[in-house]
This record gives sequence, C-alpha cells and structure tokens, in this order.
Amino acid sequence: MNDMTKPPRSRAAKWTRRGFIGAGVLTGGALVIGVGMRPGNPVAKLGPVVAGGKGEQLINSWLKIDADNVVTAIVPHCEMGQGAHSALAQMLADELEADWSLVRVMQAPADGNYLVPDTIRAFVAPGTLDAPDWLEPTWNGLFTRIARLADGMITGGSSSVRSTGQHTMRIAGAAARQMLIGAAAQEWGVPAAEITAANSMLSHKASGRSAPFAKFAAAAAEQDMPQTPVLKQPKDYRLMGTDAPRLDIPAKVNGTASFGIDAKVPGETMSYAAVRRVPVPGTRVAKMDASQAKGMPGVLQILNMGDFIAVVADSYWQAQQALNAITAEYTKAESPVRSGADQFARFAAVLDKAGESGGKAVVTRGDAKAALAGAAKRISAEYQAPYLAHAPLEPMNATVRVKDGRCEIWTSTQVPLMARSAAAKALGLSADDVTVHHPLLGGGFGRRLEVDYVVMAARIGQATGFPVKMIWSREEDLQKGLFRCADLSRIAGGLDAQGRLVAYSSVFTQRHDPADACDCAFYDIPNKSIRHAESDLHLPFAAFRSVDHSQQAFFIESFIDEAAHAAARDPLEFRLAMLGQSPRHKAVLEKAAAMAGWGKPLAAGHGRGLALVESFGTIVAEVVEVDMTKGKPRLTNVWCAADPGFAMNPDGFRNQMEGGIVFGLTAALYGEISLKDGAVEQSNFHDYQMVRMDECPAIAVEIINGDHQKLGGAGEPGLPPIAPALANAVFAATGKRIRALPLAKQFV
Amino acid sequence: MHRSAAIPATALALILAGCGSKAEAPVEQIVVRQPGQPAASAPTAAAPAAGDLVAAGKAAFAVCAACHSVEPGGASGIGPNLHGVVGRAVGTLAGFTYSKAMSGSGITWSEAELQAFLANPSAKVPGTAMAAGQVADAQRRAAIIAYLASLKH
Repeated sequence: MNDMTKPPRSRAAKWTRRGFIGAGVLTGGALVIGVGMRPGNPVAKLGPVVAGGKGEQLINSWLKIDADNVVTAIVPHCEMGQGAHSALAQMLADELEADWSLVRVMQAPADGNYLVPDTIRAFVAPGTLDAPDWLEPTWNGLFTRIARLADGMITGGSSSVRSTGQHTMRIAGAAARQMLIGAAAQEWGVPAAEITAANSMLSHKASGRSAPFAKFAAAAAEQDMPQTPVLKQPKDYRLMGTDAPRLDIPAKVNGTASFGIDAKVPGETMSYAAVRRVPVPGTRVAKMDASQAKGMPGVLQILNMGDFIAVVADSYWQAQQALNAITAEYTKAESPVRSGADQFARFAAVLDKAGESGGKAVVTRGDAKAALAGAAKRISAEYQAPYLAHAPLEPMNATVRVKDGRCEIWTSTQVPLMARSAAAKALGLSADDVTVHHPLLGGGFGRRLEVDYVVMAARIGQATGFPVKMIWSREEDLQKGLFRCADLSRIAGGLDAQGRLVAYSSVFTQRHDPADACDCAFYDIPNKSIRHAESDLHLPFAAFRSVDHSQQAFFIESFIDEAAHAAARDPLEFRLAMLGQSPRHKAVLEKAAAMAGWGKPLAAGHGRGLALVESFGTIVAEVVEVDMTKGKPRLTNVWCAADPGFAMNPDGFRNQMEGGIVFGLTAALYGEISLKDGAVEQSNFHDYQMVRMDECPAIAVEIINGDHQKLGGAGEPGLPPIAPALANAVFAATGKRIRALPLAKQFV
Repeated sequence: MHRSAAIPATALALILAGCGSKAEAPVEQIVVRQPGQPAASAPTAAAPAAGDLVAAGKAAFAVCAACHSVEPGGASGIGPNLHGVVGRAVGTLAGFTYSKAMSGSGITWSEAELQAFLANPSAKVPGTAMAAGQVADAQRRAAIIAYLASLKH
C-alpha cells in the first residue's frame, strides 16, 4: 500500500473511461499503453520482470512480442481450470490481429501494476460499468482506489472476461495494433490509414510492403498512446466468438503444467510440513504430547503454534506420519453449536423472531403483507441447505522461504496481492519485502479467495528459518478449512383467483454475495418482501462457486415450482407468464424447454423439472430428467440454455456450464458437511461423495448470444439452477417435495 | 459495501484495518535437527548400487506401464512393447503401428537417445504420439533407462 502515496504521472490526460484504462498508470490501475520504455514509468520497471526473454519487447504492460513474432498476453487473472488465461488472450489477440498459433499466455506477476479494478467494480457496483462518460473520472478513481486498498488482483465472480477481458485486454490489443501501425507508417513513410494488420503481419497494399509485428515492436513501444483505441464491432470479430483452442491444454495433457503443489524453492533442500488445525473453530491447543513423534524418521521440527500443530520433516509422508503420532488436548469451544441440528435450531430461532415482516429489508415492492392477506390461496415452505466443503483436487498448500527480512511464497491463490499483504502482516514485514509466485490452481471454487493457509505456511517458515512446503492432508482440507454456509429460508406466496403469484415474502439467515442473489427480479411479481435475518455461523465462511446463488436458487426456484403446482399450472407456463418484462429470460427458458421436449409424455417413474436463474450477468435455464424407478434419483439428462450476452469462446463457455452442472449436482445430491461435538464429521471422499462418471447425466448446452454489449460470466452461472431443477424433477416423478439438501439422503 | 466474493470479508477487513498485531510466535518449538543433517543414529545412505537403480527404475516404470508392456513377446498396448528396446531401431516391432514421426525418425534406441527422448519427447521427435511420457527428473529417467536396459532375453 505504500506505493499508493505517489501516483505515477502520465501524459495521458483525458478522463474518459477508455482513456483512463489506457492511462491506467495515472492511478496505478490497469494499462500503461504508450508510455513505452521511458525511464520513470512502470513499463520501465515491469520490462525486466515480465519480458526477460531474448529479443522480447514489452509493448505495454499487457503484451509483449518476441523476435520470432510470438505475442505473449500478460494476464492478471489466475487460471484454475476456468479457461480465463486463454479467453483473455483470445480477446487481446483478436483486437491486435494476431495469428492465434503465435499467441502465448503469461501469468502476470503479483504486482500492484496488475490490479483489476473492473472486477471489483463488477462486484461492488455493477451498474456503474455502463455509466455515462461524464461520471467516469469519479467511478474510475473510486474503484481504482478500492482495488488498491483491497489488493485487488482478484479472480472471482465469473468476471475475468466481462471485466478485464472487455475493458483491459481488448483495449490493450487494439491500442498495440494502432501503435504497431503507427510505427510502420513512420518507417515506410505512408499514411497509417493505408496499413492493415492481419495474422501478426503489417502490410501496405499500394507499395506491396509487409513485415511481421516483431519488426516494429521496439518502435511501437515508443509510439504515443492512443487516447481512445477503436474496438471491433461483432461483425469484425475474427477470434472472439470462435472455439479457438485453449492454450493451457497441451501442458495439462502432457503433464508439464505446474501447480502450486509442484513448487520447489530453487537451489534449496526442501523440507515439508504437515499440519493439524484445532478441530473446533475458535479453540486452541491446550496440551501437546510429541514424545513419540520426536524420534520418528525424517522429523526436523515440531511446532505448537497455538491454533495449529505442525511437523516439519524431510518428506511430506514422514511429516504426516509423525503428526499422526502426536496427541493433543484443546480448549473448550465458545460456540454452543455441537451438531447440525444445533446450527439449524439457531437459524430457526432467528427466523421465528423475524416473523413475517422482521429482519433487514433487501427488496420491498408493493405491499407483500397486504397482498398475502388478501390472496385467494396462500402457500408457505421452509428450505434448508447444509454446510459444504469446496474439496478442490489440489489440497491447500504453500511453499515459503523466510530469510534475511524477506519472504518468498509459492502458492495457488485467487488473490496473490492479499496473500502478500496477509503474509507481510503476519511476519511483521512490509509488503514490498514479500514476493508471491502464483502458479496454476488445482481448483479454486472460492476457497482460494482466502489466505489462511498462506499465513500458516509463512508462520512455519519464519519459525524454522529454512524453506518449507506446507501441504494439508485431504482430511485437513475437508475438515478444517472454510465452508459454504448452511442456511434456512422461509418463503410465503399468495396466488390470486386466476392463479397468478401476486405476493412473495422470504426471509433467510445468510447473505454474502452477490447482493441480488436472494431476489428473482426477472419474474414480474407485484408485491415482494425479501428480508435478511442474520444468524452467526459455527464454521467459518468462504465464498463457494456461485456464492449465495448456490443455496438461494434452490430456495427460490423450488418455491416457484411449488407455487405453480398450487395454482394447478404447468411449471413452464407458470414461469413464462411472469416473464413479460424479461424477453431474454423468456427466450432462454423457452430454448431449454424446447431442447428437453418439455410436455412430451414420459415413462412411469420419470419426471422433468426446470429452473431459471440469472447469476453473474448470465441467464441460465436447466431442465433435468430423472428416473426414480429404482427408488433413488438417477439423472438421465440435463438440458441447459444460457445467455451470457456473447460467448467469447463458445467451447469454453459450454465447458464451464457442464462443469458448473456437475459440481452443483455433487452438492445437490450428496454435499453435506455435518457436525459432531462441534467438529466436522466428514473426512475424505469416501464420506464426502462426488458424482461419479456412471451417475453423470448426458448434458446438452446451447448458447444464446443475446446482447454483445452486456457480457455475463461463465464460471459460476451453470451451477445455481441444477439443484432446484433436480428437486422439481423428483417432485414431478414421485410427488415428494424435497426441501432439504442433500437430496440423495432423502431416498436411502 | 457489502461482503463480496471478490473481496473476501476476512481479507478485506484485515487489509483495510491496516496495522494490527502480528501473528503469534510458536507456543512450543521442538528442534530435532537441521535439514540436510543426518539423523543422529541413522546410518548414512550409501550411493545407490546398480541393482538399486534397476529396482528404482522398475518402480518408476509403473506410470509407463499404463501404455507399455515389458514381457518378452508381450502384446503392445497404446505404446509398443519395450522388452529389449535398448539397441532396437525405431519402428521395427512387428504388429505395432507407429506414428509417422516416430517411424521416420531413424533413431536406434541407445541409452543416450532414450535420455534425450524421455527428457522431452515432443522436442526429440516432433509429432510423436507419446503425449504423456515426459520424465522431467533426471535421476528418475536414468533409473527407468537402467531398468529398460536390464530387460533382455
């Protein structure tokens, strides 16, 4: 944060949105186009950091070109399987007119010059992304300040493509193209307007001259920054909207991809730490007996850190074996919650107190109370969602070297700058003395938005004084981390004499993000009261893929289905009738229904269910067909229609819908973290089941490009509709309404 | 500002709060020895004997065995049978369909050629169908090659 006091200067002065992004150096925001390699600006500083290769020329902070004409996009977001690296490079390459086979990706270093203020902005105040030009200076300044304060180099919220891709990478590519053309125009003595760029080549038709980008890379970096780079219209997209092959796949197929857990400290003998956190959150190690562990093979050090125990050894296995031999006693927990039943009883007490109008109003429309009282028919239901673990394939880990007042960290993280600040604070260092290397993530799902594990490793590294790689066991990862919150929701609705939903009232205990996840604004319901009655959580919270939508979509879309049945209407018809003001939502729902053959007769014991959710700017409808003839739910098909505005890479987008569906299905069918004596009961994949290959339904995805100026996300929106669509299908097949997840538990 | 997935509440609070007390030191620290120092009573490890190298190679070959059989006369799998591969010319095993790149490479598999190939298959034989065979660790590579060299008769 200390570099915030001296905002670097730039010649770019026009405070338009694009101008700001172009001149990001003004506030340390995004792009430093056009300021070239002159001394005293960040490109001069960044050059040696990101363009160390032979003959490489940094054109601006987001792309470099080497002597072989290879363009490298420097991407500030992390890659956790969601395809952001490749999609962002694709957007940059399209505007640049680069040959895709000559494009590479590089992870931007954890450096204050690679903040992503638009990601923050998409979250905190998405409405301002379309703000009028005269407001831009205010918003940009504000969000860049927030990004700085919050160490905003963040990957989350399904936002990379729609924020950084749209507002930074494309502009970086377009500006660099103009700068290359400008350099060629000077060299060739012809008007810039006569020069065309295509396939990483520049050419001038009249004189028959052409040359690769690389020839003009150095001169381009000296060009003035275009104040308002001209972006392509969809009709001119060449790579955007195509299935350009993902750049990260080959390394993942041939095994050369390097993840956080693969890190080694260069030139050092590695030691390994296994850790055991206290079993119940908030407790402490009261007594540790390491007498047996001390003599075990490979053991170097045994640490009682107060809130956890660590064994450091020559190998991870030796460390874990010795840790298993340590017995400990813990202090008594302050939280009175001992079981899942205790947690839900606390939620229920809070909701009882809130009653029909208590709690903090989130959405108020019309007069829900009066409309409910006057309704022809009233229905109400209570839904519950359990705690969930993220369970990424790569367990939490971090490798650290703390030496001579400096700390170097290698770790998979969605928030490298927050990891840097948190480690610095824990060690009493300045953030400048901490370097974070952040390789590929073996799964994030929101768990790696938290930095608890990085701080633990830093503390171990400081205590030992030699480099240590800390790896959590699978059991540790599942039991002692942070969790998707459990929640309880009560919803009441009123139908008029024509069977229309005229009143909707809901209250629930958990509200984290996004702010509107508890609403279903696209349905035209005249009277609404949506309230949040907060209740504390026994297990610590971390955002889970789709965050609040992961439970709210189940509550809302299950209830809408119940309302349809109470009105004796078809669930599809019932929803369509409420979508008069939402043509894009209507189109998506109709598409999914058509794909599924909604309304066609089904075999006995089979049922179809549907759900419609908008999350992270993308509208998704899913239809599930379930076979209940064996007494347990078996999904045969999922049909998914999605409108992300415009899918930059349709193959990647479909991949994310499929991934979200399977991830959400695991949660809906089996996901449950339960408590015993205040500690997590589950320990590994045998009792925290994933959906297996033989249970996975056939999944069909169709994309509607509904509005290329209003992009939605991809990583999360596939998940929310699957749980309610499944529960609704089970109801259609059996008449049994499931109001508590996980669903499979209700059929054993 | 509400709590946000993009700005984890804990991290944001921590950072916005600015200065706070630094994390606690260990309550108890038991130092057994320094890294790299031998354990007090453990015998020092001798350099691996040739037999150990072959044994290590056999263990390391488990990954390769997903595609390659090694029994004399054994059927080829996704990759060719490797019994007697050291000294064999590429593309000569009957009944196995090699990639064009491989059969046209003209290599005879000496231990040095195997070293180069396993270090980076697609660099040594661009276009090889062996997508997943890289053995980056030099010691592991040497062990696997020693094991392959032992597979004769």
